[in-house]
Amino acid sequence: MTAVSDRPAAEIGKARRRKEDQHLITGRTTWTDNMTLPGMVHLAILRSPMAHATITSIDATPARQRPGVVAAFTGKDFADIQGDLPCAWPVTPDMVNPGAPSLAVTQVNHVGEAVAVVAARTKAEAVDALEAIDVEYEPLPPVLDMEAAVADGAPLVHPNTTSNRSYTWTFESGAAGTGQPIDGALAGAEVTVTRRFIQQRLIPSFMEPRSVVVQPVGDGILMHSSTQVPHILRTMLGLTLGIPEHKVRVSAPDVGGGFGGKIPVTPEEVITTLVARKLGKPAKFTESRSESIMSAHHGRDQIQDITITAKRDGTVTGLDVHLFADMGAYLRLVGPGVPILGAFMYNAIYKIPAYRFVCEGIFTTKTPTDAYRGAGRPEATFAIERIMDELAAELGMDPMELRRKNWITHEEFPFTTVCGLTYDSGNYEAATDRALELIGWDELRREQAERRERHDPVQLGLGISTFTEMCGLAPSRVLGSLDYGAGGWENASIRMLATGKVEVVTGTSAHGQGHETAFSQIVADKLGVPFEDVEIIHGDTQSSPKGLDTYGSRSLAVGGIAIVQAADKVIEKARRVAAHLLEASEDDLEFEAGAFSVKGSPGSSVSMGDIAFATFSAHNLPDGMEPSLDADATYDPVNFSFPHGTHLCAVDVDTETGRVTIRKYVCVDDVGNPINPLIVEGQVHGGLAQGIAQALFEEAVYDDAGNLTTGTFVDYTPPSAADLPSFTTDRTVTPSTDNPLGVKGVGEAGTIASTPAVVNAVVDALRPFGVTDVQMPCTPERVWRALQGTEKSDRAASGTNAYGGAATTEGGAE
Amino acid sequence: MELDHSFTVPVGIDETWRVLLDIERVAPCMPGAALESVDGGEFTGTVKVKLGPISLTYKGKAAFVEKDETAHRAIIDARGRDARGNGTAAAKVTATLSEEDGGTTVAVHTELDITGKPAQFGRGVMVDVGNKLIGQFADNLAAQLRGAGSEPEHGADEAAPASAPAAAAPPAKAEPEPINLMSSAGPAVAKRLAPVALGILVLLIAVGRRRRKRR
Amino acid sequence: MIPAAFDYVRPSSVAEAVSALGAAGEDGKVLAGGQSLIPVLRLRMAYPSVLVDVGRIPELQGVRDDGDAIVIGAMTTHHAVMHDELVRQHAPLIAQATATVADPQVRHRGTFGGALSHADPAGDLGAVALALGAEFVASGPGGERRIAAADFFVDYLTTALSPDEILTAIRVPKLGAGWSSHYEKFNRVAQAWSIVGVAALVRRDGGTIAEARIGLTNMGPTPLRAFAVEQALAGAEASAESIAAAAAHTAEGTSAPSDLSGNADYREHLARVLTARAVRTAAGA
Repeated sequence: MTAVSDRPAAEIGKARRRKEDQHLITGRTTWTDNMTLPGMVHLAILRSPMAHATITSIDATPARQRPGVVAAFTGKDFADIQGDLPCAWPVTPDMVNPGAPSLAVTQVNHVGEAVAVVAARTKAEAVDALEAIDVEYEPLPPVLDMEAAVADGAPLVHPNTTSNRSYTWTFESGAAGTGQPIDGALAGAEVTVTRRFIQQRLIPSFMEPRSVVVQPVGDGILMHSSTQVPHILRTMLGLTLGIPEHKVRVSAPDVGGGFGGKIPVTPEEVITTLVARKLGKPAKFTESRSESIMSAHHGRDQIQDITITAKRDGTVTGLDVHLFADMGAYLRLVGPGVPILGAFMYNAIYKIPAYRFVCEGIFTTKTPTDAYRGAGRPEATFAIERIMDELAAELGMDPMELRRKNWITHEEFPFTTVCGLTYDSGNYEAATDRALELIGWDELRREQAERRERHDPVQLGLGISTFTEMCGLAPSRVLGSLDYGAGGWENASIRMLATGKVEVVTGTSAHGQGHETAFSQIVADKLGVPFEDVEIIHGDTQSSPKGLDTYGSRSLAVGGIAIVQAADKVIEKARRVAAHLLEASEDDLEFEAGAFSVKGSPGSSVSMGDIAFATFSAHNLPDGMEPSLDADATYDPVNFSFPHGTHLCAVDVDTETGRVTIRKYVCVDDVGNPINPLIVEGQVHGGLAQGIAQALFEEAVYDDAGNLTTGTFVDYTPPSAADLPSFTTDRTVTPSTDNPLGVKGVGEAGTIASTPAVVNAVVDALRPFGVTDVQMPCTPERVWRALQGTEKSDRAASGTNAYGGAATTEGGAE
Repeated sequence: MELDHSFTVPVGIDETWRVLLDIERVAPCMPGAALESVDGGEFTGTVKVKLGPISLTYKGKAAFVEKDETAHRAIIDARGRDARGNGTAAAKVTATLSEEDGGTTVAVHTELDITGKPAQFGRGVMVDVGNKLIGQFADNLAAQLRGAGSEPEHGADEAAPASAPAAAAPPAKAEPEPINLMSSAGPAVAKRLAPVALGILVLLIAVGRRRRKRR
Repeated sequence: MIPAAFDYVRPSSVAEAVSALGAAGEDGKVLAGGQSLIPVLRLRMAYPSVLVDVGRIPELQGVRDDGDAIVIGAMTTHHAVMHDELVRQHAPLIAQATATVADPQVRHRGTFGGALSHADPAGDLGAVALALGAEFVASGPGGERRIAAADFFVDYLTTALSPDEILTAIRVPKLGAGWSSHYEKFNRVAQAWSIVGVAALVRRDGGTIAEARIGLTNMGPTPLRAFAVEQALAGAEASAESIAAAAAHTAEGTSAPSDLSGNADYREHLARVLTARAVRTAAGA
């Protein structure tokens, strides 16, 4: 028996530095591409330069003659064994999925699609040999513009379909019984504002390009992949390739970022598996950055037609949303569902009585789209926050006053929205008041008026985004009602080692989020053990056999709760041992700071370490008790979590050049109880950078032949720290009432919230000039053209119709 | 991308038409082009594009797909692939002749599609480069046609592209001599900004060049 | 990505470099700092048979005083150039413009002569060299020759250097008394190439601008001088109004490209705005 130590400071809420960073950022770790296995072959993939073409002939024979080449395969070699890449989200029963080969067999449907693969002793030899593969293409007309794609007589992307429309998904609050019919709202509206917003196509620029190593093991495989979803990947590989699931082990070693970009099963994972199995040798494929840019999935790319109705006094009465969502050439794992996730967020924090949402998923000859940080919710938040500003302008109301008039007040929680979601908690007033104070809103408004007055060539604009999001994906029943192909639970198990150290196995799979630190803090507090004594095990289907991985800000709000529940089970088992050792009744014990003691007699106690060792030795356990404290838990959330916040942005707009400079950015986020404020801060900062990047910098551009012309970062222009302001961040804390930690997600909040704040600020600066919209990214040229009153200002050269994917015939400044 | 160029030569329309249809004289007007074989209406060859450190060699075929004598319109369809698999280039060139003051105006309309690395990684300059290449083609064609007036026997073996910086490449075969007129202008032919350097050429080829990019 | 195979030679003198280049023929290529060439090699858009690495040739390094000019060795890194005392004193325009080139990593490896030889019209240093009236010193099999900046830039990515010549140094005339300068760069993200850049040199004489030289970045396939602006500025009042009036001529004689970073008409507009700003700043007006 040891004496009870002093109660350690609570770990939860401590701004600890991340324990995983030392090895991650010094490179003393194993990224997938670092792996070299005995006998391993290196793969290089030949990709289509054509957007849309029939492969009239392809011959890999010359490549096989090149030095070092072990094998070369074309789509024909794999046609019978490669299956189709899985799409797990058939959003409607009649959704058209034309199939998605990993290696194109007869036709290519986007630039960058894989058509052949070479395996060689070195990567250099494999790349060299690609030049020897002879492919002849017969061009087909590219399909780039979503509206044109569904017009009569439009060329089809896929010959085995009758339309380029994959699906139409509809929600209407009158029909759903969650609100009033939209038709009434539209017909009786005192004020109606309609806008078209373009969500440009974005490229998830994770730091580590994707990489996969496949090792044949007996009649199964061990795949190491830079993936966000080892568990889902395992199941899907089994289904796609017909390898029994129990013969597939997937390991995600350290993974350098994902942002959704590493969710789908990739063609490269399938191709590498097939080559490794054909050759009976380990095989590795690692993409280059430019390959990643053109062939890894893209995000966003929607045309949003949105109508809001209101009374003259500003009370919003209805919201009608129609989306064209570009699926690209194929349906990836959750691609069709991404815009549908947004369906529940257009009403945002507002009490909107009538709502309709219609989304058409469209095929084009562009890189497929799928989840990108926020996945559907940034698009929704952008549209509603932008149109609230437009409605305010129409009504002559202050945009914040309009929001206050319509948002759910803190007394009204829990609140069931027009979509049928129940928001458990929130306090929009508190976050907003704090943000206004931090940025000095009134003073900025005065300065803005003064600069307008004196026609300062540099105008000030102020933008608001009062957002919420749904995260913690997700209650399995809800996913089922949305026809998603899996549940949303998460698993954890805790193993008490003999020396009192703790191993925690989680089914979430970190790729830069800081799980090891945050989960260790939770377990340290729960079990009363030192933070350093906790090890988090994740990312390998062998050591962490059960889980649904990391996306949708779910790791803490779902995976964290599973850990809490497993810890509770460990404590209950330990209580039984403690009672036995202390010769007391379990009911008389209290557990505090990692030790059990008898209530009222603090002198006698046993620590978790003591109990762990006693259980390990098993010399003296209660009769009938298994010698184990280990426990696992699978948690299926009862609800999403709904973080919210108020983001305010002040921009300087140089009306002579069109340049937008962010002068001040303030955000007050409410993510519930923070486990580690430093990690929260990091997630918010990174999220802001990505959201601001959409507003001002990034856009994937296709030319009229379907070439992706932003093929390197030189042209895609992701911003760096030098292009971003210093952020002022703060928090309000309104704990979630739906989970025991009171936590909400934070992984996507910054990205979801920031984009409309910036664009609203840009438009606010320009509104006196008659500008009512600037298409994203708000490049200097676009801003300048908006000021010239010229119509839409394509960023691309005037020889093309490049429109960042979401090609439309209108839009831009009105 | 679509590009338009036009020029006028002091040669009669029938003679101009005759030269225009002579594929062995027209093909080498493409900068960096070398004709390898002619088989009936179809010919094969290479076009080497050199741009600073960047080099691409397109190997492909071209053929007349239309010869409308009444309308004096000829359409050449050319397609090539980079020898290293860096992408493809396809051009549909429509030349339309019309009489003008005893001379002939040639309108050259080009639909040019470039795929692969030059389109993806070129910082968007391919539009300009394509325009430049076709501009040079039009210049060379003008010179070739002008040559037709004074040296009607100018044969394929002598006809070759000018050495031009944006697309300088000696033909791969037979070391054909450059057209005299062009060689006197030298590299400046390619310089849109140096019309003065074109000297007499400009006087002879009444300039109606304009460029237009559509959509 | 991995470049195609090439031979690599690293001469230790200019003479050796020239002979290596001569031996390589048309497919030889000089490797300086590699900040433009290596990406092109890795993308496999260039296939030189031989790379002649001039990075270890002592005579190409550093900046020296040569009477009425400073001589910048072609292989002096951007970082060294922008911190060099001679440059800062006699050609501060170079120091200022160089500081805007790419990012610190690139400036530590990229070189002054390499950037100029690459002749990317979106690069910032060509317009600066043009405005300063620099002379380019080249060595080839026939010996050394000097090329005026105006003759050096021939076309897009194309200079007057022949394939067997290397640029060894750039001679920059020292600015006389009364000259001041400014480089105005406009790009989209911090490390990006210029959409448009303007190098302005102004000699003031009391309240008037006696003389001005304006170089334009990315307003054509080569860096350009804005002669019409220079003429309009000569003898003009050093005021915002008269500078703006002169800057209205900036786009004359240019042929701005239309590409992903901007359409030609926007570039022309930007060039006018930036020229006015550059001249105002240089002239202290």
